[in-house]
Amino acid sequence: MNFLKIFVRNLVKGPSTIPFPFAPAWTPERMRGRIQFKLQSCTGCRACEQVCAPGAIRFDKTPEGLRFMRWHNTCVFCGMCEFYCPTDAISQSDDWHMAHAVGEKYGMAIREVIPYIACTGCGMKTLASAPNPVGVAPPFTPEEIEQQRNLCPACRKKALAERGVQS
Amino acid sequence: MSNFTIPVGPLHVALEEPMYFRIDVHGETVNNVTITAGHVHRGVEYLITKRNVFQNVVLTERICSLCSNSHPQAYSMAIEQIAGIRIPARAEYLRAIADEIKRVASHLFNVGVLAHLVGFESLFMHVMEVRERMQDVKESIFGNRMDIGANTIGGVRYDIDPERIGYLREQLAALVPEVDEIIEIYRTDSSILRRTRGIGVLSYDDAIDCGVVGPVARAAGIEYDVRVKAPYAAYDRLDVPVHVLKDGDVWSRAMIRLMEARTAIDLIHQCLDGLPDGPTVAMDERPAIPPGEAIAKCEAPRGELIYYVRMTDSPKPERVKWRVPSFLNWDALGIMLRQAKVSDIAIIVNSIDPCISCTER
Repeated sequence: MNFLKIFVRNLVKGPSTIPFPFAPAWTPERMRGRIQFKLQSCTGCRACEQVCAPGAIRFDKTPEGLRFMRWHNTCVFCGMCEFYCPTDAISQSDDWHMAHAVGEKYGMAIREVIPYIACTGCGMKTLASAPNPVGVAPPFTPEEIEQQRNLCPACRKKALAERGVQS
Repeated sequence: MSNFTIPVGPLHVALEEPMYFRIDVHGETVNNVTITAGHVHRGVEYLITKRNVFQNVVLTERICSLCSNSHPQAYSMAIEQIAGIRIPARAEYLRAIADEIKRVASHLFNVGVLAHLVGFESLFMHVMEVRERMQDVKESIFGNRMDIGANTIGGVRYDIDPERIGYLREQLAALVPEVDEIIEIYRTDSSILRRTRGIGVLSYDDAIDCGVVGPVARAAGIEYDVRVKAPYAAYDRLDVPVHVLKDGDVWSRAMIRLMEARTAIDLIHQCLDGLPDGPTVAMDERPAIPPGEAIAKCEAPRGELIYYVRMTDSPKPERVKWRVPSFLNWDALGIMLRQAKVSDIAIIVNSIDPCISCTER
């Protein structure tokens, strides 16, 4: 008999379902949804590629530079890439609206290239990636990041040593 | 009355997961049961040796959605043991919180399905509605309703700030009277009692013989809980009551689950009270894992889950083997189903909370 009480209460309360797709659905702030990529912050360390269980992230070398490629339809939204990204170049948005027409499936990807440049220190061909901030104390300033971006690995090491820190 | 052989499953209206039973019946009484497995074998033990240690945190999480926190947790514990990593105190508490949140949702789900099988659809809907509060909690704190992604090698991947602690406490406070109400209904409602009391009995001795674990064992009078016998995460600092009932029938198993769901809420409060400050992972970068082997175990919602991991020089594990709780519990189904009525088969099968995707992986 005590269920009748709950039954009536639930009846009075009305449906608890949401009218999606006719109205927006509640989405929590931390919802792990579509991946966003910030090329400016990418160090090209490929940690995300190594921890990605379904293999949704791939780096390949093109004549222009190092290409970051991510397939949204392969992603399982586990958040490992975001967690292990040293510069927060990869982040998860709360966007879960991933339905698309079959014809658009090859567009469901992020393709961005870290371009090759000539090192401002020695002129060698190098990738214009952001410097890896792990273990650098005091942390890089935005100006230093831009300066480091234009250097090859050897010149970066030298610049860091001159700055008096260990990386 | 004549003898028949009837097939139940692998696709059956009353079974939640694909299991195949060949049941010899005399009239409507079960004489003998043959259980055939292998309908959802996905080759995870092979796949795990083809991925590196960090990818496997995600792969193990996807073995089963209801114990999706216990698998990566036991796996991470084994890897940490090999690498000699001690996780920070805050991470230990956060692991316990994630574990208990999953436990509440998992137990309520099973108990809800019991109401569905009994034919009490409105109660089923109500229990699922109550569970939905826990699903919203998981989505708000971890970002996903089932695969919460709390664990990683060396700690946890999520953190809770005072605002989220407040939200969690608020939701738990609202959940307590709802769960208490459900416990009272399952304890007293005649339609539930008629279908579950004295059905699918597993005696203490049979339970010992089959080596059953988790709520199935505790409902048969075996006081065994990994959280107490071999504490992991923060459980050695928490006061974990172990619920035990004597009858070993379907109703006892449902009651154990409900009482554990209620206890889990208290345990989350205990964790939040004692939550220490500090880092959530042992190291910022991915640790190197040396060769070695280790065994780790934890209490999944269905019972004791054991992981064995062997690492060589390769970043990929050479062998990962796990013993899941449902493997032991479904062996006991042969005893529970003996002399049962055909109409009770689904209720008895559900009462062990079978997780076929874990067992057949």
